[in-house]
Amino acid sequence: MSWGPCFMYYHCPECGKKFKSATDMIQDLGPKFGMCPVCGAEGVLDKEGARTPDDADYEEVD
Amino acid sequence: MADLKNKRIITAAVTGAWPKKENNPNVPLTPAEISEDVYACWKAGAAVAHLHMRDDNGNGTMDKNKFAETIKLLRTNHPDCDIVLNLTTSGDLYATDETRQIHLKELRPEMGSYDCGSMNWMNSGLFINSPAFLEELGKNMQEWGVKPEIEAFDPGMIANAAYYLKKGVLKAPLHFQFCMGCANGITGSMKNLVFMKETMESLCPGSTWSAFGVGKSAMEMLYGAVAMGGHVRVGMEDNVVYQKGVLADSNAQFVERAARVIREFGLEVATPDEAREILNLKK
Repeated sequence: MSWGPCFMYYHCPECGKKFKSATDMIQDLGPKFGMCPVCGAEGVLDKEGARTPDDADYEEVD
Repeated sequence: MADLKNKRIITAAVTGAWPKKENNPNVPLTPAEISEDVYACWKAGAAVAHLHMRDDNGNGTMDKNKFAETIKLLRTNHPDCDIVLNLTTSGDLYATDETRQIHLKELRPEMGSYDCGSMNWMNSGLFINSPAFLEELGKNMQEWGVKPEIEAFDPGMIANAAYYLKKGVLKAPLHFQFCMGCANGITGSMKNLVFMKETMESLCPGSTWSAFGVGKSAMEMLYGAVAMGGHVRVGMEDNVVYQKGVLADSNAQFVERAARVIREFGLEVATPDEAREILNLKK
């Protein structure tokens, strides 16, 4: 049984960008995990889990 | 029979316990949808179908009647389909030990999943496979003639399989499914896939193996497994997107891609009967 990737969904407090990364990217992204891909600010965690219905609203960072 | 060392088995995991139509409108949920998807995957090259069921609300269930209905539809509507059926024993985190295996006893599929340890699930729940359950399930599967597909989410689960082999709960040759990139399990990387394979070879020599990666690691694990002599699993249980930002059209689309990769590598896609021989199944 798998549930697909487990995502952490963020929004940027500076520019409002919505983005997400799968938890298995913590190793690859290191300290950049959870940082806004546009302005580099630390994201605010909105939710986490399997892909949600509004998944496409969040840009995937990998 | 052709030379089996150049054959690769494609397993289609078409539904899983999680994705719904909101995630991808093409994920099959009802027995009718699942049976048609399995047939399409078989035509595309899948030799094994790993099946999960959903209740009428689309949630994961271990309802034996759903399994029975799906198999009946497949066999009735598509009598030419000789695909190996592999039924999950982990389709609902809240199912009892009894409901997780009664469908194996009554339907006698050729294969069933055997999750060889417990873990936190998606950082939100518990995926419990207690020692008592694993001992009972292993013995029952031997008695019922159902080959366990040992799902290993980390190397410790391979070590656990070796323990159950020594105890007689499992019987060699084992077949592993390396589940790569699942939260709380081993991440999906080539380095980790090599480690899983080497761990299996040292603890359970003579075993066969397959692998899949969820999300970003899907393609890496597909290519890696083919290159390292393993078999592959694809489908919407593990990935609802075909590539980044693009929803999959169907499960058969994943099978077609896996078949192309296998053939481009100079190998051949195993038929169900070849898979039976490779996996030491009794038809």
